[in-house]
Amino acid sequence: MTESRNIVLDVQDLVKRYGAITAVDGVSFSVRAREIFGILGPNGAGKTTTLECIETLRPVDAGTILLNGLNVRTQSQEVKRIIGVQLQSSSFFDKLSLAELLVLFGEMYGRSVDPLALLDEVELRDKSRAQVVQLSGGQKQRFSIAAALVNDPVVIFLDEPTTGLDPQARRHLWGVIKRIRSEGKTIVITTHYMDEAEELCDRVAIMDAGKIIAMAPPQEMITTLLAGGFRKEKVERLASLEDVFLSLTGHTIRDE
Amino acid sequence: MLTLASMKMFMRQREAILWTLLFPLLVVILFGFVRFNGVGSIGLGVVNEAGATGADLLARIKSVRTFEVTEGTRESEMGELAKGERDLVLLIPAEYAPATSAEMTAYGDLEAKPQVTQLGGLVLQRVLDESAFAGAPGLRRTALSTLPFKSRNLTYMDFLLPGILSMSIMQMGIFGVAFGFVSLKKRGILRRLWVTPIRPNDFIIAQVAMRLLVLLLQMTIMVGVGILFLNLHFIGNIALIYLMGILGAVVFLGFGFSLAGISKSEDQVAPLANIITLPMLALSGIFFSRSNLPGFVRSITSVLPLTYLADGLRSVAIDGATLAQVTPQILGLVLWGVVSCALAVRLFRWE
Ligand SMILES: Nc1ncnc2c1ncn2[C@@H]1O[C@H](COP(=O)(O)OP(=O)(O)OP(=O)(O)O)[C@@H](O)[C@H]1O
Ligand SMILES: [Mg+2]
Repeated sequence: MTESRNIVLDVQDLVKRYGAITAVDGVSFSVRAREIFGILGPNGAGKTTTLECIETLRPVDAGTILLNGLNVRTQSQEVKRIIGVQLQSSSFFDKLSLAELLVLFGEMYGRSVDPLALLDEVELRDKSRAQVVQLSGGQKQRFSIAAALVNDPVVIFLDEPTTGLDPQARRHLWGVIKRIRSEGKTIVITTHYMDEAEELCDRVAIMDAGKIIAMAPPQEMITTLLAGGFRKEKVERLASLEDVFLSLTGHTIRDE
Repeated sequence: MLTLASMKMFMRQREAILWTLLFPLLVVILFGFVRFNGVGSIGLGVVNEAGATGADLLARIKSVRTFEVTEGTRESEMGELAKGERDLVLLIPAEYAPATSAEMTAYGDLEAKPQVTQLGGLVLQRVLDESAFAGAPGLRRTALSTLPFKSRNLTYMDFLLPGILSMSIMQMGIFGVAFGFVSLKKRGILRRLWVTPIRPNDFIIAQVAMRLLVLLLQMTIMVGVGILFLNLHFIGNIALIYLMGILGAVVFLGFGFSLAGISKSEDQVAPLANIITLPMLALSGIFFSRSNLPGFVRSITSVLPLTYLADGLRSVAIDGATLAQVTPQILGLVLWGVVSCALAVRLFRWE
């Protein structure tokens, strides 16, 4: 297969338990180079846990994860060098300016970085002397993407980068993410916004209760749903990805 | 290289480091202005070389409220006088015989403590007179002559500065590490670090190394400022000061990491850290000498880590103690270090 040569991330039968809870229950997927791969799912579905296993932050209970041919379980140090990570919740040292923080993060990889070039990438050059606490929510998220880029990573993981942002800030961030992909990076992103997944992602996986219950390009999912006889009550578009999501995972609000 | 990055990370916290360095100095200077000089009692050392013959006189002297009497050999008592631990030392010579001896000698620093020395001399003379006339009146009076003795005239500053240094070592270890790590942990900064190639051990080593470096700097500044501006009578070996400081730091860093391990938030750290540090601040002889504590409390407090550190630093800095002379303190610190590091290894958690 010519395709398999392009695979940057390959997850097979990943299992992760927290005590009695099986947070990730036999998940398999692979991500191709320069792809934007989305993981969708209700709160507590196991998205963050899946990412953290790949990011070497959590010991895995079963399964294999290959990242650029490296085994995440045994070669975590090498893996860390080629991934860029934005965590769902993390902050940065205070008292340092954005530029200083980026330089510092670069040093952790033994690299000297050009902080202004990185800030340009996420359109924050004019904030280079500001501290993280002085940024708005959207600016913070863009900054943590810049921090994820310091080591020129092969794959970038973004965990809910747009949660809590207003529609304008979200669209701004989409632009940033697309540009990063166009520069040759592979991106894995989680989100609760279906329009975002539809707009950004080449393929999405929908997770529920630790399992992937569907995986395909967004358009294909919608087509499949329509082919199954689904019709919206009020039609201005025939269906959106949001409909796919809800029909797969149910309408009720989940507790985490 | 990664350790270096971690170190830089620490060094970038400029304000915190500046504060660490300046705070103890401020405390010292503040307390230096407040003088605790009230003439409460007179510290009298008695050297009784007359044995049983001198016993009656000694008992009389002891019954005088004004005196806080300590007995000792000529050598030890004169040594204490030199350090400023005694106000006056009375010599009861071997040939002393009540009501027949014509002269007796006391030593005191007339220059540095004129009132105390003179007052003490007068009271002593009265006791001698009473003793002489108690047997039969009309016998010879023993005249006391008070001879000047140049003591090093140690001040409260000499006592305080090594104490404050010990205190700041303890605070840095316990509060610095425990609050620092819990906050890094809680805010998710540590998780963000672990997706970089920084290794947890490197990070800890860097944290410890940086704190020790800051500590060396701090000890240098404190001693330097003390000698230059605060009239500190420093006669110690600075290398020995560094050694004791680092040992003390290891003890308290161990406790700091243990606390960081069992606490989930700053709210949990604060009371625990206070429970550990406050009693030691009060009882380890930081601000006031432990010699005023009741006997059994004193013996308990003498095995506290802060006591070992403060006593050790003080004897080296002020009394010029050698390595051999502070071996008990060093052993005490090493033992506490083993305990605290073992605890840290057991309790410390990254998550
Ligand atoms: N550190 C942990 N210890 C124990 N259980 C955990 C831990 N982290 C997550 N879980 C549990 O694992 C399950 C999956 O959580 P996870 O955070 O991966 O979900 P998620 O899909 O990212 O949710 P969200 O959309 O809310 O971010 C949940 O049931 C959660 O309660
Ligand atoms: Mg999540």
